[in-house]
Amino acid sequence: MDWSLLFSSYGDVFGSLQVILMTFIGAAGGVLLGAIPGMTATMGVALLIPFSFGMDLIPSVGLLLGIYCGGMYGGSISAILIHAPGTPAAAATLLDGYPMAKKGEAGKALSVAMFSSFCGGVIGALIMTFLSPMVAKVAMKFTSAEMLMLAVFGLSVIISISGKSIAKGLISAFFGMLLCTVGVDPTYSRQRFTFGVKSLKGGLSFIPVLIGLFAIAEVIAGVERIIAGRESAQEKSTEKITRVLPDGKTIRKITPNILSGGIIGTFIGAIPGAGGDIAVFVSYAFNKGISKHPEKWGTGIPNGVAATESANNGCSGGAMIPLLSLGVPGDSVTAILLGAFIMKGITPGPMMYVSELPTVYKVFAALMLANLCMLIVGCLGVRIFAKIVSLEKKVLYPIILIISLLGAFSINKNVFDVGVCVVFGVIGWLMNKYEFPLSPILLALILGPMCEQNFVRFMDLNNGNFGAIVHYPIAIGFFVVAVAVVIISLLNQRKINKTEKANASMGME
Amino acid sequence: MKKTQTKAFSNLVVSLLLAALEIFAWVQTGNIKTAKNAAVQPSTFPRIMIVGMAVFTAILLIQSVHKLLRMKDDDPLAQKAESMNFIKDKGVLAALFVIALCALYVWGFRSLGYVFVSMILSGIVMWLIGVRKPVQLVLIAVLVPLGMWLVFYKLLQVNIPMGVLQFLRDLVDKF
Repeated sequence: MDWSLLFSSYGDVFGSLQVILMTFIGAAGGVLLGAIPGMTATMGVALLIPFSFGMDLIPSVGLLLGIYCGGMYGGSISAILIHAPGTPAAAATLLDGYPMAKKGEAGKALSVAMFSSFCGGVIGALIMTFLSPMVAKVAMKFTSAEMLMLAVFGLSVIISISGKSIAKGLISAFFGMLLCTVGVDPTYSRQRFTFGVKSLKGGLSFIPVLIGLFAIAEVIAGVERIIAGRESAQEKSTEKITRVLPDGKTIRKITPNILSGGIIGTFIGAIPGAGGDIAVFVSYAFNKGISKHPEKWGTGIPNGVAATESANNGCSGGAMIPLLSLGVPGDSVTAILLGAFIMKGITPGPMMYVSELPTVYKVFAALMLANLCMLIVGCLGVRIFAKIVSLEKKVLYPIILIISLLGAFSINKNVFDVGVCVVFGVIGWLMNKYEFPLSPILLALILGPMCEQNFVRFMDLNNGNFGAIVHYPIAIGFFVVAVAVVIISLLNQRKINKTEKANASMGME
Repeated sequence: MKKTQTKAFSNLVVSLLLAALEIFAWVQTGNIKTAKNAAVQPSTFPRIMIVGMAVFTAILLIQSVHKLLRMKDDDPLAQKAESMNFIKDKGVLAALFVIALCALYVWGFRSLGYVFVSMILSGIVMWLIGVRKPVQLVLIAVLVPLGMWLVFYKLLQVNIPMGVLQFLRDLVDKF
């Protein structure tokens, strides 16, 4: 590694006012876009790419990376505050983020999310700087077998997020996987469960389903609780935010989660086709599996937020690795970035490390700067964002309702999606009423398509012989870890049930 | 408390409804066209999911029947289940009313426009859950949808149906 070139590239990026300004604008725009349910980082990058045409390469990359990193963090804001993840990559943040907000710790949850996002992003940028050729080589070894088992590993967390009834959790998960099969089958283009409805051919859009299951269901349930007198319409959070960053004690507690989340996120981000939405669940599963108190996960602890937010921002660095070293985009945002590079006359790939090394180092520096800008925007915004939950419920619920329905429309500009959102709102409300957990559906909706596509591809390549999986050691490794996670989750669940029973009988006495 | 009001009984009813859904879905997989020379047919994966769902539905059904036959008072499943009786429970009635409003909202989204239907929806829901100050009600119901439309239309360049308030778009375009 050419250290002097690396440092001079960092100096060039951090010393250029234009790059700093563009990256900051990108980060601010990304945070705001990400916070709106239905607007993703990909849409933000696609939207702002025309503005980068007239700029030099590094300021335009700074702008786009700013949106990318800001969007990743922005998604957590609505997940924490209104139970509707702004982006799919923030889907797992609501598992602990929203319960924290309900406990009156919205500000703390936001600051943990922001700090973890920053740290995860820095981990991703550092790994990208020092290990990108190595990580790219391992990531490129991933075939359908490894991808299938990676999805299975992600799914292994279902039991631990199933709540009191594992049977209900697994029914939810299988239902979610079944929903993924609606539409035209991606391998053979056969219609499944479309019932002659044209709009169903493309399948159920993930974001409207997500918004329906969580945000709309919450509003319906909230109205029910208020009218039945179980919740006050005047109820609002009275949390006073005294600091924008987490305190030392919290940072010490979440550091292991941030480190593992950042590394997991970077590595999964480096695998083409696997993005932040998958990384967050794998990171959540891993961190919950190794936790001393798994029973506390899902009840609103900062560790859960840290594990997921560090993973999705780690992905931003990870996704840049195959883009720069192999010319293969890791996700949709880097696919757009690839276009930006080509427009500027630079073709990413192995030769870029030989002929365009200063540019490569400047991109590393721009990613680091993007994370720093995201942190600054986050710090400036925490108090403003947290004000949302200080609104009274009677005002907050109608606002969530109309913003969420607009978010469902905006993703495909399709009224059908608004209908899908309402239908899933009703399904979510009924599931909550009858104690069916919603998180397994969420997980299944994210991992289902990856699971099916790679299962079909693997079976086709091996003439229908699933036993051939034994020839793929990385896949077997993932499978063994998945089995271990399932066993640990079952044992933990038993422990939780015993403790709850003992507590209940003590209460009876 | 009657056994029919317990969580165990509601689980029994839900598992029967789920079984009906699974049978329906299984029958539907029969309509999926097959693919030639495919190791895995397009209907295989959905069928695996239906079987998985059916197995755990059967477990839930057996658990509920078992609990209904030998349930103690301190059992968590002996607690009162959530009601769906909209005649006795005003909360359920309100929830169903909001769902009906949302269905009308979807119906009117294109023809009446986002801003108009959102004003009506948010106004009615706010009034339903206790906002009685007319100024507060009107201000929120008008300004929030209008503000959201402006953000999406001007900043994010998302074209949202304006229906009866189309003149607002023309007005904004002029400036």
